[in-house]
Amino acid sequence: MPPSASSPKQLPPVVEFRGVDFRYSTHTVLHNIHLSAERNRVTALIGPSGCGKSTLLRCVNRMNERFVGARVSQGQVFVKGKNIHDTDVDLTQLRKQVGMVFQKSNPFPKSIYDNVAYGLRIHGVTAKDILDDAVERALRSAVLWQELKDRLNQNALRLSGGEQQRLCIARAIATNPDVLLMDEPCSALDPIATLQIEELMQQLARDYTVIFVTHNMQQAVRVSDYTAFLHLGKLIEFGDTEELFSNPKQKLTESYLRGTFS
Amino acid sequence: MEERLAPLERQSLGCMLLKKKKLNALGFDTQKFIRFFFASNASVTIIVLVLIMLMLLREGAGFLKTYKYELETYRHAGLEFCDIVDRPLAQHQQLTSRLRRALGASLDTISQHARNRRDAYLNMKRQIEEESSLQREALSVALEQTPSAGDKIIEPLRTQLAIAGVKSAMSLTVRSFFSLDEADKIRAELSQLSPETKDIPAFLKQLNDHFSTSDKAAKKSFATLVKATEIFEEAPETLQEILIEIKEHVLQTKTAANEFNTLKSGRLKLLEAAENTQNPVEKADLLKEAAATQAMPVDFHQRIKLVTSRADELAEKVHQYITAIQKAAANLPTRGSPAHAIALLDEVHHELPLHVQEMQTAADEIKTWSPDKPVSFLTVIGAFFFGSNWITNSSWQDSFGFVPLLTGSLIISLIAIVIATPISLMAAIYSNQFASEREKELIKPVIEFIQAIPSIVLGFIGISVLGDLIKDVSEVTWLQWIPGFPIQERLNMFNAGCLLALMAIPTMFSLSEDALNNVPEAYVDASDALGATKLQTVFRVIVPSAFSGMAAAVLLGIGRVIGETMVVLLVAGNRIAIPDFSSGAGVVFQPAHTLTGIIAQELGEVSRGSTHWQALFMVGIVLFCISLIINWCARTFVRRFEQFKA
Ligand SMILES: Nc1ncnc2c1ncn2[C@@H]1O[C@H](COP(=O)(O)OP(=O)(O)OP(=O)(O)O)[C@@H](O)[C@H]1O
Ligand SMILES: [Mg+2]
Repeated sequence: MPPSASSPKQLPPVVEFRGVDFRYSTHTVLHNIHLSAERNRVTALIGPSGCGKSTLLRCVNRMNERFVGARVSQGQVFVKGKNIHDTDVDLTQLRKQVGMVFQKSNPFPKSIYDNVAYGLRIHGVTAKDILDDAVERALRSAVLWQELKDRLNQNALRLSGGEQQRLCIARAIATNPDVLLMDEPCSALDPIATLQIEELMQQLARDYTVIFVTHNMQQAVRVSDYTAFLHLGKLIEFGDTEELFSNPKQKLTESYLRGTFS
Repeated sequence: MEERLAPLERQSLGCMLLKKKKLNALGFDTQKFIRFFFASNASVTIIVLVLIMLMLLREGAGFLKTYKYELETYRHAGLEFCDIVDRPLAQHQQLTSRLRRALGASLDTISQHARNRRDAYLNMKRQIEEESSLQREALSVALEQTPSAGDKIIEPLRTQLAIAGVKSAMSLTVRSFFSLDEADKIRAELSQLSPETKDIPAFLKQLNDHFSTSDKAAKKSFATLVKATEIFEEAPETLQEILIEIKEHVLQTKTAANEFNTLKSGRLKLLEAAENTQNPVEKADLLKEAAATQAMPVDFHQRIKLVTSRADELAEKVHQYITAIQKAAANLPTRGSPAHAIALLDEVHHELPLHVQEMQTAADEIKTWSPDKPVSFLTVIGAFFFGSNWITNSSWQDSFGFVPLLTGSLIISLIAIVIATPISLMAAIYSNQFASEREKELIKPVIEFIQAIPSIVLGFIGISVLGDLIKDVSEVTWLQWIPGFPIQERLNMFNAGCLLALMAIPTMFSLSEDALNNVPEAYVDASDALGATKLQTVFRVIVPSAFSGMAAAVLLGIGRVIGETMVVLLVAGNRIAIPDFSSGAGVVFQPAHTLTGIIAQELGEVSRGSTHWQALFMVGIVLFCISLIINWCARTFVRRFEQFKA
């Protein structure tokens, strides 16, 4: 049964999965995924634990490849119209285009400034003024500038959890990527910090294409334009968030949303 | 399955709320007892450490007192007085030896050829005598026999010696100093050597004569230099005569003082024993014995007068000496000698003013010197911590200066650290970040195995393998640009440093590997997701995050290096002197002694409670403090590291 992959077509997709099967060394965890994320839109991935959301997300910047034997066994993933598994694709450049934020905030044990500037530095930027500009822009975008501008040299590990997570977002967008991947970015935060991040995600959608994973249905409704529901490695339903939540086409989706799911 | 499980049994409420009667011994229940057991184990270690500290401190404090007494005697008896002049006078010998070398080089320009010819002849003669030594010996024995052995025995021996002599004379390679004719003459002469003829061979005589005439000629043409050197050499003679007299006198004073002291302490002990004993006979005996050891204390005051009264005379002699050497130096020729001789003379000229000045100050000093100046504890502490001589069992004056040992220890440790740190850190980074599983399985156990090698075995390696290796390498021609090459001593600080590096590597490696392991995986994720290459991740994120842990690893390695004894004792060369830093980095190829080595070497030989014994304890205290400081630093580093761990 092919999953419904009808996607609205106003904007050209930045990320596109075409019939992707993904397997770790022993077993296949994604089956025939067709999915596309539109430019400057927020796409949410929901689904029960272990269904493959994180795996799907990490396919976009090929972060899965660090595990031995993990590979896309069928289909292609396109980012900005380029098959990312082509041999001429430079992994560092791909990851510069596709930023990622993790579930648990993970700033480096360096100063705030160095954290944000890290991405640029590893891509060869050394000029102080460019770095200064980029750091300020990234921190402003992450709504941290006002709070932190006077203590950029402070160690980042001293920040609060919410601040740390926003700092990680700032670090991810400092290299000016097209796509921002977020794997349960709020699951370790309190409601207020969560709200701040959610607001931030919506703002970010002006400049970036955001794909994020969440277990929180309300969050998906609040933040995302499109939602994809995965189950056991299959994309069950994908579409406009309001549409999907108010009027799910698949039985599985409906029972998951209602919580009557076994 | 589930049905078969027995239902959980619940105890009645009363049973649970009431305290159960537990095993009671001495008011402890088991919980408390176990707790107490662990606590006592922990406190035992702490108590032992405190005891060690106290013990070291007690012995060390004793050192200051006894050393102070020694320095006081040194002053009161007048040894200091002699040293004021004697110390700078040592320079005279070095200057003289320069002059002699310059003179020799100058004379060589004229007489070298003649001397070489004579020496070559003598060498050949010795060689032939050696080669036919068996026959020669047999003949001499036979000749000396009484009653004399008949010609029947002696004649064949003579022929045998003659045959042997001819044989080795024919195989002789004659140096190019001699013409072919001369070579033949030499062979003929040498083949006829026999213990029976006492006359000097004719050609040798000729060579000797030639040499003495050319030597005379040389001395004549360098007459001024010869004369100046002679005057220079003889200049301190009268001064030294007086000095020796005074020295004898003060040494007597010192010996007497020390003897009196031992007698006194012995007597005190006897008296104390007498006090404590109940037996009247024994008591009387002890008292009698004590009375027998009664001695007069040394009258420093009286005896030193004899010394100070001669101060003016001595100063006068010093001035005479100064004038004499200055005059001699002024007469030194500046031309006519070969270049390196001139260079040596220049050195003498260069160093003379300083020497003269030192002697001058010495002359002034002895006039104002007073034996009654008190010796403060600060002086004693200074004499230990900044003293540059560690002299024991000296007939003149022992001195316990700690600087030569400290420099030895520090230089060796520095070498070890410089070698071990990069190797172990790089090995740790490689094995933790880049190595495949199989490589890891090889690297880690092998490096950790080094730790299991007994240090005495490493010492063997240092003596038998590494020493020779370094020496051989130092003689390779295209490596001569390295300072200190070619090296003189096989056993030196570099050798010891290398072995200590080997010993420090496992510690540094394992601990820094742990530090790297402790870096959270999340940092790697973040760095990777930003597109960093493996190298960038390692050197910009992982290593900086593990930095304090790695620093602590290095510090603990240093602690291991400084405390190591066996290897340095065997391999460092054990020369107690501050290394000569004038050769720059080549200083590492000099032998030295160390803090640990000196304790290990000397503690077994000194008598308990002597100044020397206590001085060794002081060295121990310093070592202890160094280790303590290093450990403390390591701990602070680690604590900083923990603080930033996510
Ligand atoms: N490195 C790996 N090697 C092998 N199997 C893996 C690996 N990572 C994940 N898996 C398996 O892949 C499947 C999908 O995992 P994934 O982490 O994508 O799920 P998820 O939807 O993100 O779950 P959650 O909501 O709990 O985060 C799981 O069955 C998991 O056990
Ligand atoms: Mg997940």
